[in-house]
Amino acid sequence: MAVDMQELVEDSVLLQCRVNETPCEEFIHPTTSLLDFLRENLLLTGTHMGCMTGHCGACTVMVDGSIVKSCITLAASVQRKKISTIEGLGEKESLHPVQAAFCEESGFQCAYCAPGMLLSTVELLNETPDPSDAEIRSALSGNLCRCTGYQSIVRAVRTAAKLYTADKETQE
Amino acid sequence: MTKQYVGNSTSTLDHAAFVSGRSTYTADHIFPNQLHAHFVRSTHAAAKIKRVDLSGAERVSGVVLAMDGMQAAEHLDPIPHFVDPIVFGGKTTNLRCLALGQVSYFGEPVAVVVAKDKKTALYAASRVNVEYEPTQAVLDASDAIDSNAPRVVPEWADNMLMQVPFGGGDCAAAFEAADHIVKTKLKVHRQSVQPIETRSYNAVWDHRESAITLYATAQNPHPLRYVLTNALRMPENKMRIVTSASGGAFGLKMHGHPEEALICLLAKLTKQAVKWIENREECLLTGGREQEHEVDFAINADGRILGIRDHFLANVGAPGGTPGWGMAFLTGLSMPGPYDVADLDVLANIVVTNKAPWSSCRGYGKEVTALALELGIDKAARELNMDPVQLRYKNFIKSDAFPKKSATGLIYDSGDYQGVMEKTLQLIDYDGFRDQQDALREEGTYAGIGVAYELTPEGGALPGTLVAGYDTSTVKVDPSGFVTVLTGVTDPGGGNRTGIGQIVADELGVEFEKIRVVQGDTQSCPYGFGNYSGRSTIVGGGSAALAAQDIKLKIITLAAVMMEVPEETIEIAGGIISTSADAGSQMSFVEVCYAAYTRNYDIAACIEPPLESTRTFKPGLISHTPDEEGKINPYPSYSNAAYAVVCEVDIETGKVSLKKFAVVHDCGKTINPILVEGQACGAVAFGIGGMLGEEILVDESGRQLTTDLVDYTMPRAADVPPIALGHHDTPNPITFMGLKGAGEAGVGGSAAAVVNAVNDALKCLNVEVLELPVSAPIVWKAIQAASLGSTETES
Repeated sequence: MAVDMQELVEDSVLLQCRVNETPCEEFIHPTTSLLDFLRENLLLTGTHMGCMTGHCGACTVMVDGSIVKSCITLAASVQRKKISTIEGLGEKESLHPVQAAFCEESGFQCAYCAPGMLLSTVELLNETPDPSDAEIRSALSGNLCRCTGYQSIVRAVRTAAKLYTADKETQE
Repeated sequence: MTKQYVGNSTSTLDHAAFVSGRSTYTADHIFPNQLHAHFVRSTHAAAKIKRVDLSGAERVSGVVLAMDGMQAAEHLDPIPHFVDPIVFGGKTTNLRCLALGQVSYFGEPVAVVVAKDKKTALYAASRVNVEYEPTQAVLDASDAIDSNAPRVVPEWADNMLMQVPFGGGDCAAAFEAADHIVKTKLKVHRQSVQPIETRSYNAVWDHRESAITLYATAQNPHPLRYVLTNALRMPENKMRIVTSASGGAFGLKMHGHPEEALICLLAKLTKQAVKWIENREECLLTGGREQEHEVDFAINADGRILGIRDHFLANVGAPGGTPGWGMAFLTGLSMPGPYDVADLDVLANIVVTNKAPWSSCRGYGKEVTALALELGIDKAARELNMDPVQLRYKNFIKSDAFPKKSATGLIYDSGDYQGVMEKTLQLIDYDGFRDQQDALREEGTYAGIGVAYELTPEGGALPGTLVAGYDTSTVKVDPSGFVTVLTGVTDPGGGNRTGIGQIVADELGVEFEKIRVVQGDTQSCPYGFGNYSGRSTIVGGGSAALAAQDIKLKIITLAAVMMEVPEETIEIAGGIISTSADAGSQMSFVEVCYAAYTRNYDIAACIEPPLESTRTFKPGLISHTPDEEGKINPYPSYSNAAYAVVCEVDIETGKVSLKKFAVVHDCGKTINPILVEGQACGAVAFGIGGMLGEEILVDESGRQLTTDLVDYTMPRAADVPPIALGHHDTPNPITFMGLKGAGEAGVGGSAAAVVNAVNDALKCLNVEVLELPVSAPIVWKAIQAASLGSTETES
């Protein structure tokens, strides 16, 4: 007798949300993580898998402006919410100030952690526009980096704070 | 020639892609009808396999294939070792992708399931029923060398993979003659490199060509292809390996892992794309660095070290295909580091146990050499009541002594070790700290300062193996003047791609933005050996420079004809060709490139198209012909660095906090300061993490207890202090532009400095921690033991 995974769990659910400003409607398996939904259903592979236990931060995305670990967030729990991933932050010709700062200060090496680092930085700077080094290190404590020793990342966040403030002033 | 890019902090090539989620890592490849594999792993460290029942998995809808070790062995020959221990006089064994008849470590792959999606594969794997007959596991190296110990490999006479002596001179006489003998017992715990991107393989079968394309997290794609096609019994040219952007490697992604060949086989059998992504628990199985040393120094009253004896045990886990075991060999070979000690007696006992095999780890065993020497020297300084810095100065090789042959046969290229150390002490204000230390103590702050030195042989070449000292690059210039560099070295994420781009841009005199560097694709890149041992910029950059110089000569020849001036008057910079013969005359680089392809029957007849060249850079100094003592020098380059750290120990909890950190390194010529700084700081974080928290633990039966990143506590942003970095470069006389390599050095030196600082802080309590790590529980226990001891003495 064949055992079917689909029969072992409840039916699929309809997920409606906005991802990087784009409305999105899709039937998903109720156990699907937000990480898998983004990577496999939407092919937004800029969000990375590092541990699937919420400890490394490579999968960090923003839900309604706050960072979450998408590997331990059920996709079904972001119903009607706004998801921002690294792909939505900015592109080559229009880098977000935080992206520009990480490039300028070499705030990454392999860059596998970078999408999460950048989104954690965006959240930090939204709340604390001029953070101290201690505040920066504390805000990034949910994101592991194995390459840089964090020195260039802290420097990048400091530069980002300056660029971000300047950018906001220009917009105003 | 003016250098526009080399020596500057040019931004990482394609940096925008890295910060916008557009760079492609191996797991990002998703193919039509993609299948997923999940492994069933041993739940015992040592057991006979009585039966593997796959029927439960096969009944699950969506399962395409389930396989055990017997079936795998029908299709797959044993995987060739990355470096077979037998080449170095050790024992060899047949390595299987799935366990055959017995398991020899917890987590060993026993069966595999392929299904239409990951969840189904995971579920079906749980339905595989394996019947084991557990046998006694041997977990400690000291237990494993007992003649009655159970054999990890039943066919072997004992558990000694290899026993290698290193050294020279007359160590016994040195010990006889010495005024003091200082003995240091040191235990280095099992650690693991843990890049944030775990391993991943995605094999795609091409039915028409009977060929496989493997997308792999692999540091060495060409040598991996040799290994896989041999195991799969297929021609080497029927496999293409593509390594995408790497999410960190640090040695883990050097091959020999059982999953590599198996995923290829599964693609071949299912005729579809099969993908496997390692989970963190699986990744944590791979270990390294676990060694026990007894380092004895024979020292004269004036502090001169006459001899060093170190007979050590390395617990390399079960035999594996990766070159992990070789790290223990390097620990011995790299003795006596930066010290001028001719009488040396080192014996490496490389022992197998029922722990998971080692993978290569950043530092490649040289970090344990640094730990053994630097903790030993500090212990000697404490026992003899000498200043640890002065003791080092007395024994460093002098800067005028190079090239210097070490007691193990290595030939050091260049260096100024005392100069490097002096700069480090200035950066951390060593004397200033010493002046304050007692006052701090009186205020109740237990602060200490530690220094350490590390010498790192880089760019190794081992005879008879695919660990080569040389590498090859092709440079191609298009008719439109754009430049493609194809190179045999690969980039683990540290930035050699950018460095190679800078070198080529300068050699050709074109804009950096016109350069594209392609790596890690066996179909388009020249045969090469990938990244390891801090070699990539030395040999990748060196070979790309030679190829670029060839092309530049053609362009100069053609430009001279086109401009009707002598060749020696031509200059190329920033994409503009000018001539000193006529200040007003110039041409664009692009014009000349176009003519090179389109005017070959008239003005461009003077050159042979295309504008392409493939060249190899083969550093000197490597010698594989044994000298009169039978020793070889497998390394061309010896980067080195000094480390100093100030720490505070909370004696109530044992928690160590690092307050200041300084590094001065000698990596020869620097191509890109900001990237080299990144390498240095990253290595320091590795060293710090390894000492303060990272530790792989198993229970008494050999089941691994460390299963996630809460158990394995790698340093976070708040755990790493600001790092002051200085350079003290003595260019390597025999490599391209004097490069020495950056990146591998730093793990051991920083680790040793941390331990030395902790022991300096606790010296006043008579506490000395030499069983690592210096994590809070271990330091706390040592403080408690010492205070109990002193209470007993008092009473």
